[in-house]
Amino acid sequence: MSSHASKTAWWLPEIPKSALMRRRMLWAYVFVSAPIVALLVFLLGPILFSGWVSLHRWDMLSPVNEMPWRGLSNYSYLLTKDPVFLKSLGNTFLFAIGGVGANTALGLGFALLLNSRIRGRTVWRVLYFMPVITAPLALAVMFSFIFNRNYGVVNNVITAFGLPRQPFLSGPSQALMTLVFIAIYQYVGYYIVIFLAGLQGIPQDYYDAAQVDGAGKWQEFRFITLPLLRPVMLFVVVTNTIGALQVFDLVFATTGGAPANSSMTVVLHMYNTAFKFSRMGRASAMAFILFAIIMLITIVQVRLLRDRTYQD
Amino acid sequence: MSDHSSPLQPMGSAVKYLVLFGGAFVMVFPFVWMIIASLMTAGEIQLRPPVWLPAEPQFGNYIDLTESIPIGRLYFNSLFTSGLIVFGVLLSSSLAGFAFAKYRFPGREALFYLILATMMIPFFVTLIPVFFIVRQLGWIDTYQGLVVPGLTSAYGIFLMRQFIVSLPDELIDAARIDGASELRIFWRIVLPLVKPALATLGTFTFIGSWNAFLWPLLVINSRELMTLPLGINSMKSLYADNTNLLMAGTAVAVIPMLFVFIFLQRYFIKGIALTGLKG
Repeated sequence: MSSHASKTAWWLPEIPKSALMRRRMLWAYVFVSAPIVALLVFLLGPILFSGWVSLHRWDMLSPVNEMPWRGLSNYSYLLTKDPVFLKSLGNTFLFAIGGVGANTALGLGFALLLNSRIRGRTVWRVLYFMPVITAPLALAVMFSFIFNRNYGVVNNVITAFGLPRQPFLSGPSQALMTLVFIAIYQYVGYYIVIFLAGLQGIPQDYYDAAQVDGAGKWQEFRFITLPLLRPVMLFVVVTNTIGALQVFDLVFATTGGAPANSSMTVVLHMYNTAFKFSRMGRASAMAFILFAIIMLITIVQVRLLRDRTYQD
Repeated sequence: MSDHSSPLQPMGSAVKYLVLFGGAFVMVFPFVWMIIASLMTAGEIQLRPPVWLPAEPQFGNYIDLTESIPIGRLYFNSLFTSGLIVFGVLLSSSLAGFAFAKYRFPGREALFYLILATMMIPFFVTLIPVFFIVRQLGWIDTYQGLVVPGLTSAYGIFLMRQFIVSLPDELIDAARIDGASELRIFWRIVLPLVKPALATLGTFTFIGSWNAFLWPLLVINSRELMTLPLGINSMKSLYADNTNLLMAGTAVAVIPMLFVFIFLQRYFIKGIALTGLKG
């Protein structure tokens, strides 16, 4: 793992013998101390505390040591009696599937285009990347206007062609799909850049060899590009899925989960449960359910997509 | 650049440019439309049949805006807090990454595994407890409440460790023989050699905290401490009936950042490709 691979097992302390080495060791502790303390206070401690809270009823105002114990009832309530939670879980899955599928396909497609003989590669890349660095909140405001039912530009164009107005973000059957569109708009540029870097990392020799063997363009793509892009594909699918399952800003600032919870997502429902209704126990249980789902999906994706031999 | 890696080669080049242009149009249009709408009157936006350009550009919208929105204050708060967070993350990540990469000390492996484990914890799992801690500390509606929880990054430590571990040990040993102190070695030898990694981590951290919304929303209440995304959020209700002013405000909040990006795009994109592939 490192140049100083220790001979003893990692859990056994290895105390250096010389005074000089001991002083260096002390410096190392100085260097890691502040970050470690910060991670304990703001990450590790909180996740343990959050697990503890999820087994209680708590409004964050009553003292921590007086929280009434609820066992697993927060979890069972969420999974059997909270229709909004189940709805938000389904919405979040749909949002992630739509976004990840489209971002992967479009990201790879446009990366291939930009990797071919093309003029102005930098300019194209910059244009596609602009939404990536823009605050999700700003995009939410822009698209709420663009998709407005009464005076949004999309509806202006649609009606100019004599077609009926669409509700988009304000329609129960369209809100979630409109959010998926905005999420694709926001992140596709990021995945184009990642795929493009991956494509440029594939050695030219492989393609030269394939040409000697008389392979066609499609065969080159199928048997060289795709297999060699597997690690990049894994990165794109896993990070995009993890991110999409946690969506908050965009939904909060466009629909707020409306209409009729048709675009409610898990983190937004958790936020409302905790900070609007002061049900910290139930909200923490929600967080743990989503966390478990994210870990499960990540493990499955890594197993399916990790590097195997180059033949399927 | 050769064409070999693309199965799209048979596609005529006109079609390629058409597809690229179509995509770019979708990408750029919302920004353009935001600016056009910001120059309309409130009435023009809702006209039927719709108009595509203002009869006369209403530059005054931007002046009206500054009368009710403290734009300068929003920018200061965003710059100040993002700057502190970037500084804290770079310093803590490179120091800890240096220690994990180049020192032997009891518990090193265990602590590093701890960091790898915390890297995978999503923000929403710790949101409630961290909010509780910050409130107990009396930091609600303060800069420290906004900044302190973000000063360390497990991912940053991991990234810096990966870069520093590849630096040759001889370099550090030679400096020690010359009598350089450990801090001096860090500052004068290690840091200059990992500048690309620092630039990448700094860029990521900056974009993240510049655009952050949920945490500031929870911690900050007063207008004096609002960051740009919070400002946009409050404009949403303030200008519910004045989409033109809402668009002007959003434009003021995002366009300068876009220019910074265009100016520095080479570094942005290089860094993103770098960490993307390393991660």
